Amino acid sequence: MIRLFVSVIVFSLLVLAAVDSALAQEETVCIQCHTGQSGSLATPVEEWRQSIHAANGVSCHGCHGGDPTDFAMAMSPDRGFIGAPDYASVPDFCGRCHVGVRQNYGESAHGQAVEDGGAQCVVCHNAHAVKKAEISLINEEDCSRCHEYGRAGEIKAAMVETEQMIGSVEQNLDRLHQLGIATDQIEGGLFDLRNRYHSLFHSVDVEKVRSETDGFQGELQEITQGISDIDSQLAQRKIWGGAAVALLLFGGIVSMLIRRTYHDEAGH
Amino acid sequence: MNWKKQVIDFIETRLGIRDILEQNLTKYLLPRNINAWYTLGAVLLTLFMIQFATGILLLIYYVPNPAEAFQSVERIMNEVPFGWLMRTLHAVGANIIIIALLLHMLSVMFMASYKRPRELTWLSGFIILNLAFALCLTGYLLPWSQLSFWATTVATDAAGAIPLIGDDLVRFLRGGSMVNEATLGRFFALHVMGMPLMLGLLIGFHLFCVRRAGISRAPFGPDYQPREHPDHFEHEEHHDGIPFFPNYVIKDTAVICFFLAFFLAIVFFAPNLFFPESAFEPADPFVTPPGIKPEWYFLWAYQALKIFPSEIIGLGVQGAFMTFLALLPFIDRGAERRPFKRPLFLTCYALGILLFVGISIWGHYS
Repeated sequence: MIRLFVSVIVFSLLVLAAVDSALAQEETVCIQCHTGQSGSLATPVEEWRQSIHAANGVSCHGCHGGDPTDFAMAMSPDRGFIGAPDYASVPDFCGRCHVGVRQNYGESAHGQAVEDGGAQCVVCHNAHAVKKAEISLINEEDCSRCHEYGRAGEIKAAMVETEQMIGSVEQNLDRLHQLGIATDQIEGGLFDLRNRYHSLFHSVDVEKVRSETDGFQGELQEITQGISDIDSQLAQRKIWGGAAVALLLFGGIVSMLIRRTYHDEAGH
Repeated sequence: MNWKKQVIDFIETRLGIRDILEQNLTKYLLPRNINAWYTLGAVLLTLFMIQFATGILLLIYYVPNPAEAFQSVERIMNEVPFGWLMRTLHAVGANIIIIALLLHMLSVMFMASYKRPRELTWLSGFIILNLAFALCLTGYLLPWSQLSFWATTVATDAAGAIPLIGDDLVRFLRGGSMVNEATLGRFFALHVMGMPLMLGLLIGFHLFCVRRAGISRAPFGPDYQPREHPDHFEHEEHHDGIPFFPNYVIKDTAVICFFLAFFLAIVFFAPNLFFPESAFEPADPFVTPPGIKPEWYFLWAYQALKIFPSEIIGLGVQGAFMTFLALLPFIDRGAERRPFKRPLFLTCYALGILLFVGISIWGHYS
């Protein structure tokens, strides 16, 4: 008995003791080295930590190549290190991943003028503190750095409603995901839709945006309908759940009342 | 109809079932001042049965393999008819059981029902509580989510603080240097077979102890007087008591109904109360989710380890505390059971609860 008791206590100690020393996520040699430096060599890491790339696990080597596991060879061209592109090459640099955006951008006024200093990716999205593609990126302050806001404002106005729909669907999917509903497939569809829609913006062609918006909104309504169907099922569950809870409370109260009669009887 | 009577008579003549039922139901008398806290045992039995039933149903579809575990749980939640209900009942039920176990333990402590001759009842109950914690921990890993993976990593990592054998112990618990397929395999085996078997035996022993020693009289009311227990075995009789059936069973039923109503209210209206976001992401050994915390009932231990300058001191203090609780009936041996006649005990009891709650809240927000 004592041996069993001691074993249980030892085991209890092990299972009860949760510590705060979670394994730290291993950082790449790029981050380790640049973090220890100062000035412009350290800034990219600080900026990157705030970026959408960092949030999605895209690290230095995802864009710049090289070997993130080897200090000596991290920046070797033999390991695919590219380094920083020149101004006009940035669209091709980013376009290796953002293929659709690259195509639309290349056909736009921005893309056509890139050799002459036209806006490229990092002008709007930043180089290392890469901002998420959101409608707020189109604003008078930023666009007016290069040209008048008028046309950009028109494009923004054409996109606002669809963007709000996308935001609303995203919030609903997050809510359902938190309830254990499998949203992967719908999220994948929304991801594709959002990327196609944002690619469309990069054409900087207000008529094109307007003409294709209906199609996107139709797709979004289909997704919204799917979410509504799931919500209906969840609402039904709550009705059944409410009935079960009410029944149990009723059963409990009735049992208590019956108990009172027994108690009286036992008192005699 | 006649053949039914013949069958019953056949069994009755050979086994005397009516007598057993009479002795354990209608002629089994309980103290007249028995209160609602005594029903927690029946509540716990019901909850354990629900866990057992839902666990078996989950077992039909669950796949204990890192490559498929998360998807199988997702399938249970989304495709299997009423799978979401079985899984939510099982996961929320684990938390409700811990709540009921803690309440049961605290009520027994308050009424000092652990005292002689019920030391073994207390000890088996204390082991059941710890086994329930272990079942929660092993079950936590099975969905193979980010939460599962990292909470298990953190919890098993604690064993590394033990001098000399710490590292080997961590490897033994995990089946390797990291939480991996081997960890899932051994946690699965323990969760669905080893521990339920031990739990069943312990619950049986606990009930046997309760039945043999008799239900302790609540230490309240003007008629209550503390008494020394004799050196020989004595079943505590209550000749003027109330019958277990139907008088007390109906009270058990009422409290079980209220407890289940509370349980189902969470299942249907706040199902994600015990599930943080990381519970719905598949395990990724290369990405540590931010702010990973143990379940609420381990928060006190988690925070206690952070308070002390070294983990080994923290572990030692927790070990001493748990040992003290386990051995309480052998330390607190006086005959007096009335809480208000035991000011030192009452102060420690109240401070202990406040400390548990306070440290847990601190751990949650730290």
